[in-house]
Amino acid sequence: MTIVFSAAVAILFGAGAYLVLKRDLIRLIAGMVLIGNAANLFIMSAALRRGSAAVIPFDGTFSDPVVQSMTLTAIVISFSITALMLALTYRVYGSHDSMDIVQLSLAEEEQSELEEQDDDARDVAALDDADDAEAIRERGAGADRRYDASPPAGDGVNGGDT
Amino acid sequence: MILIALPLAILWFGGVILALLDGTIRWVGWLAVGILASALGATVLLAREVLDHGTQEMRLGGWDAGIGIALRVDALGIVFALLSLTVLLCALSFETLEGIGARIFPSLTLFMALGLTGIFFTGDAFNFYVFFEISMIAAYVMASYGETPRQFRAAFLFIVVNLLGSVLFLIAIAGIYHTTGWLDMEKIRAQMPLVAENPAILTATLIFVAFSIKLGLFPFHFWLPAVYTGTRPAVAAILSGALANIGSYGILRFGADLFPRELKEGATVLIVLGTASIVYGGIQAVARHTPNEVLAYSAIGQVGYILIAIAIGGKAGYAAAILYTVLNALNKTLLFLSVNLRGWVIGSAFAIGAFSVAGVPPVAGFLGKLGLFEVAVDNDRPWFVILIFAGGALSFVYMFELYRRRFWMPGEGEGTLRSQQVLIAVIAVAIVVLGLAPEPLLHLTRHAASVLPERLP
Repeated sequence: MTIVFSAAVAILFGAGAYLVLKRDLIRLIAGMVLIGNAANLFIMSAALRRGSAAVIPFDGTFSDPVVQSMTLTAIVISFSITALMLALTYRVYGSHDSMDIVQLSLAEEEQSELEEQDDDARDVAALDDADDAEAIRERGAGADRRYDASPPAGDGVNGGDT
Repeated sequence: MILIALPLAILWFGGVILALLDGTIRWVGWLAVGILASALGATVLLAREVLDHGTQEMRLGGWDAGIGIALRVDALGIVFALLSLTVLLCALSFETLEGIGARIFPSLTLFMALGLTGIFFTGDAFNFYVFFEISMIAAYVMASYGETPRQFRAAFLFIVVNLLGSVLFLIAIAGIYHTTGWLDMEKIRAQMPLVAENPAILTATLIFVAFSIKLGLFPFHFWLPAVYTGTRPAVAAILSGALANIGSYGILRFGADLFPRELKEGATVLIVLGTASIVYGGIQAVARHTPNEVLAYSAIGQVGYILIAIAIGGKAGYAAAILYTVLNALNKTLLFLSVNLRGWVIGSAFAIGAFSVAGVPPVAGFLGKLGLFEVAVDNDRPWFVILIFAGGALSFVYMFELYRRRFWMPGEGEGTLRSQQVLIAVIAVAIVVLGLAPEPLLHLTRHAASVLPERLP
């Protein structure tokens, strides 16, 4: 029996891990659900004894009720977190028009590039080089919808802050 | 001992009621602050009881010992509960002064306070997991507070990584139950030495990984900068000042208290990861420009010290780890709240926080470094002394580079509310006072460490 349980847990966890590594957010969530259920099954298989239902009056050996109540709690929690993740995916989709992890990380890179430029611009401005700073800010603003990973436009003036 | 349930009950009912109200209204925010303050008051009453009369216990629902779930409060739990509630109170007051932007925020803060207090008060391993999830779910929603595209991305990353950590922890709990036959921590502590070596090591490793993810320790840190950089100052303060305490408390409670044998065997791993965390966090923080990112990498570096102190162990090591956790949480709260503001009051408060991170006397951060130094010298670990000084130098560099960028450069003159300045000044003064009159804090952390077992020979 133990070998059946461990095989089932392993397959669920493996399939979940495979899906988590996918690009699509919905698949990623499906993967998290599978991993959560692998954990639930693992709790069930950690029972100290197996037998009939643990309802009074007992007949002979009865199964361990503690793991069942633990699993029930864990199922409720993972259900609520799944709902939360789906809601968040909807908001991500609404603000990015995409559910592709690659697109999201490109947007992230772009954001940090913009911030670096802003920061450089502020340093340059402080060194009374206001024209340069203005130029960098403009170039930064121009990079708004750029999804390819070209080198940051503010690179040339990084020397300004040393 | 009904007093144990009082802070939990206040927060629980308060959280439910506030969930129905619109948190963007100012008086609702102040109501939440009031509820949080009364929960903190109840915890202080409980703390006096615990410090005077030792560990307090309460069985929920009046069940017999061994069947019912126990709430058990010892000095270690109470220190962490006081710390987390104080940080949450500061952050919530700050956000209320600023004007809360989401109707659910006050309620979420109370639920997170409930989850954290529950974690520190529970005596049952599975109950620990449930409270853990309550606080994590509140944190997941909080990470998207502000509702910009970037915060949604950060919240998604945060959920996925931390949910994996929670699942690992759940598997470890099932493992504990199967190998010891108990969920009650006292019973687990008694049974653990009888458990075979391999299952015990496996379970301990799972627990360590789960809490390292919460702490943001070096190889598990990758979610942390993205989340901290995107969020609002109050949320960043809550995540790094209150939520990260779960990690250090978890490693102390499960590692030092329940798995002392496995902690001793894994000490080398903890030391290596802690060192990597200090070096990596420090160097990355020097290289970064955006204020929140510098502070996020600084947080990664700071937890390394806590981990090494736990790994060296003994009463002094645990006391140093607890003290460092307390001071680090206060520093991070002050720094995250003040870094995006302007003005000379804020600037001086930030400088105090920066001195505290670098460990310069007479600010409180010096105590934390001094505690670590004592542990290193007493246990004859010269490399740790070197690491403390090197790490301190790195933090001095990145903190004052940040100070220069934020407060010496002319920038957009964002007006800072007088009331927020007062709040931040109060936190900064508290950090200085703790440094000048350290006795009560030192006494408290030593008391907290005394509930943990002595290091194994």
